[in-house]
Amino acid sequence: MKKRIAGLLVITSMLLVSACGNKSNNEGASSSPAKGETKTLNVVNWKSYGSDDPEVVKEFEEKYNVKVVHQYMASEEELLTRLRTSKEGDIDVILPNASILPVAIGEGLLQPIDTAKLANYSSIYEPFKNIPENAKDGKVYAVPWVWGSTAIAYNPETVKAPIDSVQVFWDEQYKGKIAFRDDFNDAIMTAALALGQDPNHPSDLDAIKKKLIEQKPLNRTYWKTGDEFSKLYAGKMADIGLMWSGQTASMKKEGQNIKYVIPKEGAIGWIDNWAIVKGSKNSDLANQFIDFMIDRKFQESWVNKGGPAPVNKEVGKNLDPAFVEEMGLDEKTIGKLKFIAYHTDEEKRKWNELWLEVKSH
Amino acid sequence: MDRKIWLMSPAVFLLLIFCVVPLFIMVYYSFLSDGTGGHWTIQNYMDFFQKDIYLKLTWKTVKMSFYVTVISLLISYPMAYVMVSIIQGGKNILLMAIIVPFWTSQLVRAYSWQNLLRDGGLLEIVLRKLHLIGSGPLGLMFTSTAVIIAMVHIFFPYMVITIYMSLEKVDGALVEASKSLKAGPLTTFRRIVLPLSKPGIISGCILVFVPSLGVFVEPRVLGGTQGTVIGTVIEDQFFEIYGWNFGAAVSFILLAIILLSMAVLSRFAKEEA
Repeated sequence: MKKRIAGLLVITSMLLVSACGNKSNNEGASSSPAKGETKTLNVVNWKSYGSDDPEVVKEFEEKYNVKVVHQYMASEEELLTRLRTSKEGDIDVILPNASILPVAIGEGLLQPIDTAKLANYSSIYEPFKNIPENAKDGKVYAVPWVWGSTAIAYNPETVKAPIDSVQVFWDEQYKGKIAFRDDFNDAIMTAALALGQDPNHPSDLDAIKKKLIEQKPLNRTYWKTGDEFSKLYAGKMADIGLMWSGQTASMKKEGQNIKYVIPKEGAIGWIDNWAIVKGSKNSDLANQFIDFMIDRKFQESWVNKGGPAPVNKEVGKNLDPAFVEEMGLDEKTIGKLKFIAYHTDEEKRKWNELWLEVKSH
Repeated sequence: MDRKIWLMSPAVFLLLIFCVVPLFIMVYYSFLSDGTGGHWTIQNYMDFFQKDIYLKLTWKTVKMSFYVTVISLLISYPMAYVMVSIIQGGKNILLMAIIVPFWTSQLVRAYSWQNLLRDGGLLEIVLRKLHLIGSGPLGLMFTSTAVIIAMVHIFFPYMVITIYMSLEKVDGALVEASKSLKAGPLTTFRRIVLPLSKPGIISGCILVFVPSLGVFVEPRVLGGTQGTVIGTVIEDQFFEIYGWNFGAAVSFILLAIILLSMAVLSRFAKEEA
């Protein structure tokens, strides 16, 4: 009997240990705001994403005699729920993207931003000022902060031919060397680019499905997390991939021989934007915070620490020109990007199902 | 009633709050239509059965879990048998060796298998040195076989331990009695040892088969373009497109399959008992 109990204990402990294997790191909000004369600015952002760097926070706090409190979001969807349920004045500044912005603006959860009050707004690359999801009825509700693209990364040691087209993912000569991304959005948008359809609103989903099924046997594998791709690339299991600009840059910094190309058909782009919550009691402070975030000084220091691409065009002038060119940090290349647009739940579900059909084909 | 039953109340409370209540919340979601202001519907369940792809992925997952269970059984039974009846000292060390991998995260173990199985990896080098394969690449990585190998490695310890426990309870006197009645070792095994260890085999099979149905990490990391299973669908619904309602419905269909398979396996255990 004793042994049996010991055995059961062993099994339960094994179950427990294996259950703890995949915990995520989405910790809750930080300390409560301090009482006192100084105002408190409540910011919601991803954890360890630029704005909560202690040095940055300290600089802003000293400059404007304010306390900055960061709360962290686990997903865009959760941010939207938080906007809907929080009390007026609980949060001041948030970092939404196109997947929730039209909904948040439509439901009146955000307040318009007077861009004339932002000294640095004029330094933002022109294409970023015309993102349809960021505005409504001529009023701006969100200010772009950082961005990135998803395009082609390849190993120049093994891939000798010049690469300038997204058709490389359909090129038989690279069979078994390609790592396409396992993500319905990236997959469908890339296939749409290859077929000459509008990536955000493709006209013929059947053709896209066919194209993706055609692409499937050429892959070594699909990758999902950035970590998976790094291991594939470092292990020489893949030479060409559908890859993020940010991660390619950091892999380069780590000493990997990897090149990044925005194909002539264009590439997928994403933007993170700051917005001010309706009912914020610190609108002026919120404006100052956003202006500080898009200021050349902050943007330059973050990109040099391995952060995503800056929206401030002045930053590019101080970076290594080769880096600027390859990563597409210029107005012309940014103009070629197709920024991920807002999609309804119904559309997302349809796209996800299409991708599942491709993967289980 | 025995007063001591109240000692169970903390555990019962925890189970209620963290298992039963969330399960009912999930049931609620699974019958909710999408969008704000959703209403009651069975559409989520209908969607599952109307589209080939979900049934196809479910069948694929069940088949994969079946292979993992059978291979685990073939490995575990002899191992547990040897541990009980042949090895005298060092049993605990062997048990420890089986348990130690459980202290590493599942993701790390999946990546470790990548290093072993990939072309030019350790397994290929060893096999080539032994002249068991030619000069071509191994071609094992990013296949269903790779997924099954890794899953067997992850789940077979459950099987070894349950079988070990049931074999240890087999009364040696019965085995000797069987021998004294002139039964050969095979007959003794077939008629005495095997039936008595059946509960261990059944619970082992359940402990391997059930979690296998829900995996998605190993198929993704090792299965390459063929690495989509029904667990992937659930993961996608919850983390990619926030289709909680459909995701909950798929989870309950999976739960139904699990309960059904447990019922079938328990039926096996009861027969001849």
